[in-house]
Amino acid sequence: MSAAAEQAGQVKRVVVVGNGIAGLTAADTLRGTGFDGELTIVGDESHAAYSRPALSKALLHDGDDLSHELPSPTHGATELLGVRATGLDLERRRVALDDGTDLSYDRLVIATGSRARRLSDLPEEVTLRGLDDALALRRRLADKPSVIVVGGGPLGMEIASGCLAAGSTVTVVSQGVPLVLQLGPHLADVFTAAGRERGLTVVETELARLERSAEGYAARVVLDDGTVLEADLVVTAVGDVPNTEWLASSGLVSQGGPLTVDSRGLVRPDIAVAGDLAAFPTPHGTRRIPLWSSAIEQSKVAAAALIQGQEAPTLQFQPYFWTEQFGLSLKAVGYLPVVGAPAYVDGGPDGPALMRWAHGDGTAVAAALNYRIPIPRLRRVTQQAA
Amino acid sequence: MRIVLDRERCEGHGLCEEAAPDLMHLDDDGELVLDREEVSDDDPAAAARANGAVRVCPVAALRIA
Ligand SMILES: Cc1cc2nc3c(=O)[nH]c(=O)nc-3n(C[C@H](O)[C@H](O)[C@H](O)COP(=O)(O)OP(=O)(O)OC[C@H]3O[C@@H](n4cnc5c(N)ncnc54)[C@H](O)[C@@H]3O)c2cc1C
Ligand code: SF4
Repeated sequence: MSAAAEQAGQVKRVVVVGNGIAGLTAADTLRGTGFDGELTIVGDESHAAYSRPALSKALLHDGDDLSHELPSPTHGATELLGVRATGLDLERRRVALDDGTDLSYDRLVIATGSRARRLSDLPEEVTLRGLDDALALRRRLADKPSVIVVGGGPLGMEIASGCLAAGSTVTVVSQGVPLVLQLGPHLADVFTAAGRERGLTVVETELARLERSAEGYAARVVLDDGTVLEADLVVTAVGDVPNTEWLASSGLVSQGGPLTVDSRGLVRPDIAVAGDLAAFPTPHGTRRIPLWSSAIEQSKVAAAALIQGQEAPTLQFQPYFWTEQFGLSLKAVGYLPVVGAPAYVDGGPDGPALMRWAHGDGTAVAAALNYRIPIPRLRRVTQQAA
Repeated sequence: MRIVLDRERCEGHGLCEEAAPDLMHLDDDGELVLDREEVSDDDPAAAARANGAVRVCPVAALRIA
């Protein structure tokens, strides 16, 4: 028996809290590492795990009902769906659940993700984080309402694109040029121009506020200069908040903050954390990278470390980001945003393009715009000398 | 087990190739090619890679039959 299998054998019970891609990948990885004990997954959504990135893309406007589905799990875990974890006792190794029961564990994976940050408590403020949100939004779009999207990040712009494609008139309210904070000025201009060409209205402001509206409208958006915008539907996409409240009494985390993990995704030898709620060491400091492949890579490393401890490899991670909006498709590897004009590895400014930016620290970003390229090749582009 | 690709859905992210480079790759035109569709259940490591590849695809273009 290998050392790893032996260690796996000493762990009898693992509980995974959170049934998103991070929890699912952790469960798969635990099995792959040789853990064959009792595995329980707790998730507060009643759905089986699904693909969140699909929610703001094809699902919104194509009448596509399948793009978010993930293949059924093979980890053979007991799945407690529609059940929420409410507390954690580190000493007794128990997770309290909202149905009044609790679960004991030898090892625990915390993968409760994050939720949409809100600007108000108004029920009229619509956000998009879960499948139910996406289906509700799609139903509203069937009537072609006028739409204001508050938030010019990738999610806000994808929602705006989806609403335009569904036939609505759409205004995006953004702090500065949309996408400039996330992608940098060059790519931000490309996407914003593509949006405008399709009829998107962009309004720049500092802080926007939401207020209850006069009759007939959903909510009012008040800009920093006092201008009031109204539409039938107001959607906000202003970032995400880690779901860590249930850990408050454990002392692992400060109020509303992320969980900070080591380079193997552990917070203690018996607890791994992975996905949108985790801040982990990167070459650019300890931070959250709330993206799909980030969640997958983190949970693979963290689940292995949970069984193998310090013998497990550390996280070696180069971010991968993609977005689809306004007829453009972008894939990028490396740490965004990027400043300045790109070097064109292939193509040029007016068509499909493979671009590269060098950061001052020797790392680089490679981006493919409407340009099909395997990710391994895109990664190699970042490694070439400038 | 058999890996099935829904070509209409595939957006060429290639995350699957990173998970199972021996089973599939994107060709020069960015089209996904399944190099091995049949994976024997007697080869648990390959089966695990196949499952892993199917799992990472964010648009559900791959499935196991
Ligand atoms: C609309 C949308 C579009 C996106 N598009 C992209 C994209 O194009 N590219 C990209 O890379 N990334 C994208 N992302 C981000 C990506 O989807 C996330 O990074 C990823 O899904 C994170 O996975 P996770 O498992 O960490 O968290 P989650 O998917 O949030 O999973 C956590 C789960 O835990 C549950 N939970 C929370 N608290 C508890 C509790 N106390 N007890 C039990 N269960 C609990 C939650 O309900 C949820 O089901 C997008 C996100 C959204 C919302
Ligand atoms: S991950 Fe999915 S979309 Fe990407 S190449 Fe593989 S099958 Fe196609």
